[in-house]
Amino acid sequence: MLLFARFVAIRASLAVLTLVIVSFIVFSLMEMVPGDCAERYLAFKNTQGSMISIADIDVERVRLGLDKPFMVRWVTWITNAFQGDFGESCILRLNISRLLGEKFWISLGISLTALAFAYAIAIPVGIISATSKSAVLNNSLRLVSYMGLALPNFLLALMIMLFSTVVFGDSLTGLFSKEFRDAAWSYDRVIDFLSRAWLPVFILGWSATAFAIQTVRALMSDEIGKLYVTAAAARGVSGRRLLWRYPARHALGPIINSLGFDLNRIFNELPIIALILTLTEAGSLLIESLARSNDQQLAGAIIFLLTASIVALNFLTDILLAITDPRVRRSILG
Amino acid sequence: MTDTTNVDATVDQKLKEAYFTASQGQLIWTRFKKQKAAMVGAWVLIFLILSGLFAPFLTPYDPTIAGRDKDYQNGAPEIPKFWDENGFSARPFIYTVSRVRSIETNFRWVTTVDRTARRYVVLFPKGDKYKLFGMRFQTHLFGVDSGKIHLFGTDSAGKDIFSRTFHAINTSLAVGTIGVFIAFVMALIIGGVSGYYGGWIDSILQMITDAVRTVPAIPLFMALAAFIPSEWSAEARFFFISIILGFIGWPTLARRVRTHLLTERNQEYVLAAQLCGASAPHIIRKHLLPSFTSYIIVDLVISFPYMVLSETALSFIGLGLKDPVNSLGVMLQNVTKADVLLNYQWYFIPVIFFIVLVLAFVFVGDGLRDAADPYGDAKR
Repeated sequence: MLLFARFVAIRASLAVLTLVIVSFIVFSLMEMVPGDCAERYLAFKNTQGSMISIADIDVERVRLGLDKPFMVRWVTWITNAFQGDFGESCILRLNISRLLGEKFWISLGISLTALAFAYAIAIPVGIISATSKSAVLNNSLRLVSYMGLALPNFLLALMIMLFSTVVFGDSLTGLFSKEFRDAAWSYDRVIDFLSRAWLPVFILGWSATAFAIQTVRALMSDEIGKLYVTAAAARGVSGRRLLWRYPARHALGPIINSLGFDLNRIFNELPIIALILTLTEAGSLLIESLARSNDQQLAGAIIFLLTASIVALNFLTDILLAITDPRVRRSILG
Repeated sequence: MTDTTNVDATVDQKLKEAYFTASQGQLIWTRFKKQKAAMVGAWVLIFLILSGLFAPFLTPYDPTIAGRDKDYQNGAPEIPKFWDENGFSARPFIYTVSRVRSIETNFRWVTTVDRTARRYVVLFPKGDKYKLFGMRFQTHLFGVDSGKIHLFGTDSAGKDIFSRTFHAINTSLAVGTIGVFIAFVMALIIGGVSGYYGGWIDSILQMITDAVRTVPAIPLFMALAAFIPSEWSAEARFFFISIILGFIGWPTLARRVRTHLLTERNQEYVLAAQLCGASAPHIIRKHLLPSFTSYIIVDLVISFPYMVLSETALSFIGLGLKDPVNSLGVMLQNVTKADVLLNYQWYFIPVIFFIVLVLAFVFVGDGLRDAADPYGDAKR
């Protein structure tokens, strides 16, 4: 038990270390961007009619702490970030955690549901296709998963939009109906949300499913040819029992391990889908902050949060793997 | 009787000899040829690559604003015909289309098709100037005797979608190639160093690679792409986006290189080379890399479509390539408008080509992966 706690502690510190490296990457990228927060904000004020001088920019810089050296600012940023405080948005002058708050959780929820959806389909289908000898089934499954790769999510979203505009006269976009957009959370709002959230979940899950089917299939067909499976079959274990008890358990280990990267891939698609479906969540806020308002503070915070959730998922799957896989468990517990 | 068995035996012997003396490349090629899907993919791919390379010749018009047809904006595709109610023609023809906007039409553009005024398709007409392999040409594969032909219709500026599609294939292949190349070089250096030296260098490099892998690449590079100064030229943008794509792809490749090197570097032949006094770069280059070139090639082919798709996504949201350069993403920038969705569906024709392109790459990559796996035969 003590050893297990040690394992958890090591993994947790590794996760934190990864986050620190990531924050450094994100922070330096945000620094490389020409212009800083003070200039941007005052340039914005300039367009509103007030005259801004160089001296004003310098005063603003001191107020925001931008005159301090790079490392000092990074350390301040990262310590605040770990406490959930990302400072103020450059343009909107709002506290970022308040601005993001709910939106980030919605994004995370949609992405995780898409991930669950992908594996709920991929695991049974992948196992069936790996064990089945039917060429027709195999080839059609291959085709489906190839389509998942070749028809990128945003094209799929466009096609669905095209179809629903023509057929239903509603483009199915947005996350809430008009009357619930700014309402407080209530039972009706949840129902309304669910009735619209299935579409982004489906679209995000689409290529994730294709990937997952491929992985499950490849892992299963690797395992299925191994001697221990033949041995088990020779002992008279057969059918579903054979599959679930022997090769599937081996094949699922690497899959649990790679969940974090699947989430990564889904996050990659999130902003683009958000743009097409006009979702009001963190993804679209990211595009907004990048493409329109050049708000590096906000963009950095979103990217950091996305990465943090991937790191958290990686940490959880590591622990889960250690609990479920006796080999990993032994190697930890000695 | 004994004769035939003897012949069989010698044939068998020859086959065996051919098998055992075959180079890695020959073995892979033999296994690759057996896979129908991969072979079809390979032919389609060759066809698309060639049509991308020769796009300026194969397509009738300049894909930029210079080649636009100002009398036929948002025009529907014109499919050449051989016959209609007015009789048969050995040469394919299209109709003459005229557009009027006047007080009678309520100031809207109204298109009228004149089915009697035929325009015939001609081969090798002289048209827009273009450059191919450094030489100047003017001859295109086909065109019509008067006016312009638009097989896939035109966009809102009157640019020919057919011409743009083929030029876009060219762009995507170029972006993908540069991206894959950059990813490849970075992966070789980082993965190679990390795998060959092992120990603490490996641990540190792996930690960095893993950290980079954790960050969702597209949002991160959207951030970079968003701050490209808008006064940059299209070419500068093009190279910058390719570099960004290279940075998206390297961590996965680097990991594969490292894993392979880690297992290979403990083999006897490496020890032998070290005892002979070979230097580390020499061993990596001459002994270790050749041992898995085939896997690297496979990985490169597999990662290619992702590069193409990432470029499309970046350009689609307006952070990638910009207008004078043609790519699928650029061509799709305006399709989310309800107007386009409802009225101008031919904007989506290029999508088909790109799905085929990506599918061809995936099929070839899969076929190569199976062919490069020396245990592939044993499994089946």
